[in-house]
Amino acid sequence: MKPKLSLHAAFVAAVVIICFATTMLSTTKAQEKVVKQITAAEEPVVSPADKETIKRYQDRVKEYVSLRSSLKAKAPKLAKDSTPEQIQAAETALVTLLRTSRAGAKPGDIFSPDIARYIRTTLKREFKPEEKKEIRKVVLENETNIPVTLKVNYPYPDPKEFVEMPATLLLKLPTLPKEVKYRYVKRTLLLVDADNNMIVDYMIDALP
Amino acid sequence: MNRIAQSVLTVFVLLMFGFLSPGYGQAVSRGTAGTKVGLAAKPSLPLSLPLKEGSVRFAIMGDTGTGSKQQQQLADLMRQYRDAFPFEFVLMMGDNLYGSETPADYKKKFQDVYQRLLDDKVKFYATLGNHDQPNERFYEYFNMNGKEYYRFSEGNAAFYSLNSNYMDKKQLQWLESELAKDTADWKIAFFHHPPYSSGGKHGSDKQLREVVEPMFLKYGVNVVLAGHEHFYERLKPQKGIYYFISGAGGKLREGDVNERSPLTDKFYDTDMSFMLVEIVKGDMHFQVISRTGETVDSGVLANQKKKP
Repeated sequence: MKPKLSLHAAFVAAVVIICFATTMLSTTKAQEKVVKQITAAEEPVVSPADKETIKRYQDRVKEYVSLRSSLKAKAPKLAKDSTPEQIQAAETALVTLLRTSRAGAKPGDIFSPDIARYIRTTLKREFKPEEKKEIRKVVLENETNIPVTLKVNYPYPDPKEFVEMPATLLLKLPTLPKEVKYRYVKRTLLLVDADNNMIVDYMIDALP
Repeated sequence: MNRIAQSVLTVFVLLMFGFLSPGYGQAVSRGTAGTKVGLAAKPSLPLSLPLKEGSVRFAIMGDTGTGSKQQQQLADLMRQYRDAFPFEFVLMMGDNLYGSETPADYKKKFQDVYQRLLDDKVKFYATLGNHDQPNERFYEYFNMNGKEYYRFSEGNAAFYSLNSNYMDKKQLQWLESELAKDTADWKIAFFHHPPYSSGGKHGSDKQLREVVEPMFLKYGVNVVLAGHEHFYERLKPQKGIYYFISGAGGKLREGDVNERSPLTDKFYDTDMSFMLVEIVKGDMHFQVISRTGETVDSGVLANQKKKP
């Protein structure tokens, strides 16, 4: 009698284990990362020629970041519990060093014609009309008729409130290192320093 | 009967002129930011929160950084409420400083306003709004630890401060990796731009919603707090997630809420306000208090995991 019970119990246990294992496997497969799903849906299709254009652009950005890092080493460091005076001193010092080192910088040095063309084309192509409308609503929400002067090596216009970068649009643009960010002022796309909003470069007519 | 009628009429007249208004130091109009307003209310401090031992207690305010008299009045009221409801920290929904950000501005628009709470060792956890310079993340009293986005926990709640000005892939990847391993009972995300809103000036940030909502749903975020709109709104749960807007801590956009919005459960857009929250195990109690001491919303929300 006893052996029959043992066999039966073993059989049931085996079935349970197999079912459990199958469930776990299918659950794991289903747990595809959300960011992967979002970015896969959002990232633009890029031709080999465009890949080269993007790589050259990102190399120029890296050059700026490399310069910035070397200059930042000479500027006051910011601790995570800094006073406003320390924040102001660090910002001013870094901007001054950057402006001096990049004295000859002009619009288009980083946003060269080929990457500017790629960005304009991509943004026009990748969004449906209603999505473009939504993006323009976000970017142009506070647009006024007051002209805004943009100058490379100078901060993002101070009294102007910063415009949110539409999240889905960000995913279409070439990625940047954390030291720089994209910003919009009206229809102009800027590359700004992430810490002090100094304009590194800009390109006009960049809104889809 | 005549005497009764006279008494009723007298009381009515006195109420009309505010002399019997409960909790008022001076009879004044409710006013709005910028109009003549008297002292902040000396409230009788009606509290809708249970005050249970071991609960997580905090305040929420947004779009504060004006340095105005009205912002100060609201801050004074928060301080008074702290005597009755000792909250440990404050969540700031962004636009922490408006306009210039010199050291004098930090002092005028934040430190001086909340000095009494700072003296009580209340911690402020900030997020960046569209008016905020990125280096605010280094400011000692914003407790951002030099980061644009960060997580901290208190009791059975985890709080995620996000930078909705710049929701790039890096931030999304960080958020996902944190949420995926988070076992807190309550996951609360706070950032500046509201994914859902009944505001006329701004409205729902659909762009942002498109990238963050799937993650919130997948990883069980319970509550989303935002500012940017200068009013208070409690939205109807959206796909099971609770949403609040608390953006009237220093500015007010009176009458901005679209009253016909199908999104709204409760709103208040005629004066500035702040929120108090108490999390007791699987329940989140909240109370919203106006600048003049009126409770304009309150309730309790059950943790979604707790619901049948």
